[in-house]
Amino acid sequence: MNRGLIVFILLAAAVPMLAGVAGLPRPGDPQAPVHAHVAAHYVKEGVRESGAANLVTGVLLNYRAFDTFGEVMVIFAALAAVTGVSSVPPGQRPGESGGRNDSPRPVSPPISPVVAFIIRCTAPFIALFAAFVIFKGHVHPGGGFQGGVILGALLMMLSVVFGRGTRDPLVPPPLAAWLQAAAPLTFAAVAVVGVLLTGYLLGFPGAALGPVRTLMMIALELGIAVGSAVIILGLFQHMRGD
Amino acid sequence: MSQGFDLVMLALLIGMAVAVARSKDLIAAAIIFSGYSLVMCLLWQHRGAPDVAMTEAAIGAGVTTILVLLAIGRTRRREK
Amino acid sequence: MVGLWLNIDYAAFVALFCIGLYVVLAKQNLIKKLLGLNIMETAVFAFIVTSGMVDFGAAPIISDDTTGPFASPLPHALILTGIVVALSITALALSLIVEIYRRCGTIEADELKGVE
Repeated sequence: MNRGLIVFILLAAAVPMLAGVAGLPRPGDPQAPVHAHVAAHYVKEGVRESGAANLVTGVLLNYRAFDTFGEVMVIFAALAAVTGVSSVPPGQRPGESGGRNDSPRPVSPPISPVVAFIIRCTAPFIALFAAFVIFKGHVHPGGGFQGGVILGALLMMLSVVFGRGTRDPLVPPPLAAWLQAAAPLTFAAVAVVGVLLTGYLLGFPGAALGPVRTLMMIALELGIAVGSAVIILGLFQHMRGD
Repeated sequence: MSQGFDLVMLALLIGMAVAVARSKDLIAAAIIFSGYSLVMCLLWQHRGAPDVAMTEAAIGAGVTTILVLLAIGRTRRREK
Repeated sequence: MVGLWLNIDYAAFVALFCIGLYVVLAKQNLIKKLLGLNIMETAVFAFIVTSGMVDFGAAPIISDDTTGPFASPLPHALILTGIVVALSITALALSLIVEIYRRCGTIEADELKGVE
């Protein structure tokens, strides 16, 4: 790509965007059209209708639950694609061809004892913080994704200390397969419960059945959190080469 | 006061993006990208979006950086 | 130009988007291109989140003693989905780059042009 073409493409992208941006209302303007219609309804009626004091969780898990369903399917599909790309055919894995393949099995270098000690000491606190973020997600900033990613980072750290490759991973493979599918399965289960309660897929009951509504949202958050954590651990393990 | 904070954050963001573009060492580019993600998280926290800031800090400065560093470890470290 | 100075935040995010686009177009290393793509994505997320903010607005968490204007919760939910999708794209692209290096021995785009 010669420089003239690159400059032309950058100008063709930048000039219309800057011209469009100059005509937008000032960021922070309370009278801007973006705050007028649907968002104003969510701010006014959101707590009563969705049962979540954290309006972002209410929008994600109640008003726009189908988008969240699509999103958990996307990250699950990403893990499936990474597994498909980085899987080695069964005859070529080192150590599995009965001595015909004479390249030695790759061993990871030993972990420094300082790193192992710090990880073992801080792991319970990180797990507690992740559980706090997950379960207080509907009244406090946080929710399923945030807690799930913190839990996934904790699992990555632990697999550095405890996991020993494909023969002895941190989460055994059949359990790992079910946990990675936990988020889409939880959404499907709650969708069926929604059909039974209101007649709509993923339909949430109103304020009359308040505890049931809160229980459905907590189940969704737990499913998203556990699913995201084990999916992130799976991505980490594929990227490391086991 | 808050306008000045915003301007400093935006200038930092543009500087870090230019540094990612210009550095030839890929590990340095990955770490600067992690710092860029953290400054973006602070900007969003200042704008009243704590959920998005938490997610960006965990995913951008955490998981993406780790995956990029692992990929650099299995390929080449310097850009030609 | 006065409109551009009032919306200096939006103009800075357009500049970030163009820096990311330059990295994707002009650099040859595949991992550098992926970092440029991530810069473009975060610039778009920042633009959408900034469009939802309100002057002196608090975070959209309503309890009994919070009053005053709230930031709009709708862009925040959109961007949460967007961030997770960006992570999925990055993870798949990185695994493909590692596989390309294993098969072809190089991850520079101009050297890959003639490789079968």
